[in-house]
Amino acid sequence: MTEDSVGMNAMESKEELRIGVFVCHCGHNIAGVVDVEDVAKTAATLPNVVFTTHEMFTCSDAGQETIRTMIHEHNLNRVIVASCSPRMHEPTFRRVVEEAGLNRYLFEQVNLREHVSWCHMREPEAATAKANDLVRMAVARAANLEPLPIKKVEITPRTLVVGGGIAGLRAALDIADRGFEVVLIERERELGGNVRKWAHMFPGDKPGHEVLEPMIHRVRKHKNIEIRTGAVIVNFEGYIGNFEVEVSVEGLKKHKKYEVGAVIVATGFQPYVPVGLYNYDKSLDIMTLGDLQGRPDEQQFIRPSDGKPVRKVAFIGCVGSREPGWKGHEHCSRYCCSALAKTAGIMADRLDEVVILYQDIRTYGKEHEDFQRVARQKHVIYTKYPPDAKPEVEVNDGKITMRWKDVLADTDMEFNPDIIVLATAMVPPEGIEEVSHTFSLTRSSDGFFNPEHVKLNPVTTHTAGIMIAGAAQAAKNASESVIDASGAAAKAVGLMAKGAVEIESTVSRVIPDLCSSCATCITACPYGAISWDMSRDPHIAYVTEAKCHGCGTCAAACPSNAIIMLHSTNEQIMAMVEAYLCVPVATPGGGA
Amino acid sequence: MVAIATTSKMDPDWEPRIIAYCCNWCSYAGADLAGTSRIQYPPNARILRVNCTGRIDVEFILAALDMGADGVLVSGCHPGDCHYTSGNLKARARWALMEKVIEQSGVNPKRVRLQWASASEAQIFADGVRTLIDQVKELGPIKREWR
Repeated sequence: MTEDSVGMNAMESKEELRIGVFVCHCGHNIAGVVDVEDVAKTAATLPNVVFTTHEMFTCSDAGQETIRTMIHEHNLNRVIVASCSPRMHEPTFRRVVEEAGLNRYLFEQVNLREHVSWCHMREPEAATAKANDLVRMAVARAANLEPLPIKKVEITPRTLVVGGGIAGLRAALDIADRGFEVVLIERERELGGNVRKWAHMFPGDKPGHEVLEPMIHRVRKHKNIEIRTGAVIVNFEGYIGNFEVEVSVEGLKKHKKYEVGAVIVATGFQPYVPVGLYNYDKSLDIMTLGDLQGRPDEQQFIRPSDGKPVRKVAFIGCVGSREPGWKGHEHCSRYCCSALAKTAGIMADRLDEVVILYQDIRTYGKEHEDFQRVARQKHVIYTKYPPDAKPEVEVNDGKITMRWKDVLADTDMEFNPDIIVLATAMVPPEGIEEVSHTFSLTRSSDGFFNPEHVKLNPVTTHTAGIMIAGAAQAAKNASESVIDASGAAAKAVGLMAKGAVEIESTVSRVIPDLCSSCATCITACPYGAISWDMSRDPHIAYVTEAKCHGCGTCAAACPSNAIIMLHSTNEQIMAMVEAYLCVPVATPGGGA
Repeated sequence: MVAIATTSKMDPDWEPRIIAYCCNWCSYAGADLAGTSRIQYPPNARILRVNCTGRIDVEFILAALDMGADGVLVSGCHPGDCHYTSGNLKARARWALMEKVIEQSGVNPKRVRLQWASASEAQIFADGVRTLIDQVKELGPIKREWR
């Protein structure tokens, strides 16, 4: 690890605090509710504030230029931007202040959009008061900010790809082809994931295994790829560029250990098994689309229960998808409408009657609309059922009777299909909790992993160095998964090609003179980053900075106040609390 | 209780002041999502971002009450979902002790609230803020409890 001291020299001598406050309108997003002019004006009355302004878009090129110019013009040594969530633009503004020669840790952001204007839209006065409070708190914190050294770490030029489905395979190949090493691990014995099981893919008509074969062949032959199947991660630690992973591999007595610089999580999905719905578990003739696709082509036209030829088929869409109030099943699974149309279109050539019961149709993909058009041309019957009155399915002596209400015709319908095919949801695979804990990934309400930002950073995550690809991120089809995989691979390659990356300097530090050697912090640290400094007598706690992730648990646990959590010090936090609650008499709003 | 409720009714302009410590990874993001989803909740809380609820020293809460916060919210990741593995469990362990300290010092423990809200639980976050505000409004200004 190397340290760089960009912008630190300026701050070493105790110079006068000069704070600049830049209030952002965010177009109408903030300024439509909060009186931004008042916020800027009020900020100007605060201690140490020497410059304030309000601007249409602070994150725009013009806005960024204003910040840089004003830093020079007014000799600013602390910068506050009151705009959107720091989870979105903190990196942007940190870069901007750094370009003007200021250490990035002397920047502070106030969240006036997500935390004020958007959630208090009908209370403009209270929102403005809150905005003023938050800016006042930030100014107090800024006065306590300290520059921190910028740390750079080297990147181990090897990527771990977790999951050997179509996304994992694509990512592994992309990385390996660019000359970097890949360790590809898959918990099943075979590569290929869910795609391997499908008899017809869309938009092309190849079976899944044919799509995969050339990929798997290349992956197996590639000198840069090490494949481990039947493999499970048993331990994972480290930080971006320097992860250590321990893998238990079926058939091997000793765990395999790897050092990797980046990780791509491509753990995919599992098809929802609709036990208890539409008599799925009562009859062999009621199956999921996955079950049907898993059968060889000819078998698809034979009734599983009695081996008789199939003449009539009913498909039901949105099974276990788009169910408000049913946790983990509220999302649209996105593949089903196109897959149903395609399958029904193919089967219609050989069958007497094909019916698709749907809630809505969303054949949104490139050229997917054709499937639906073709299906309709082949007289596949589309019938819309109401979401609150699902079709009813009865099975008597092997005979299936289904009844539903057709919304468009406002008519009760009845049909006796030979088989029913349910297009079931894509849900997170078993074991996703463990994966999320291993890599500290958060999940959205559909249960899949959250990207760092849905639009700006869709394949990276909030854990630096960990990427997500394919259905690990959300229900999606194979082509979309492959796009993700190439994106994630590009991110990993970019990281490895650069060779080094800057990491957060926000670690904890022990003040030797205050440490009472009680070991509370050593037991509190979740990363084993604190150990004894034996060179001292008595020995005291010592933080290995490379291992510290910056949670600050040690600082809160220390009974002697001997641990400083950098950039989140007691003083910085309490200054904010005080600024909110103990308002100076001179400030508008009155004293407490 | 009745007396306090009556008093707070006597000052209809009084609005509780709430300090909300939120962890960066779950609850701060949940609060962001509440905004993005345009979920409306009372504007009394001032959110302070910390990396983890494990960072929250009991002193941060006691000092806030001492400085006149009418309520303090601590919101973090669900147990088992901590970005730092277990910081929230440490926060929970400290919480149990702290509630006793608060009570013994004559402050109603209903002025503090510990909740779990993930990055996707915007509504749970907003509801939690509302719940604490309602509880605190019942109790009236904290100054009433100072001796």
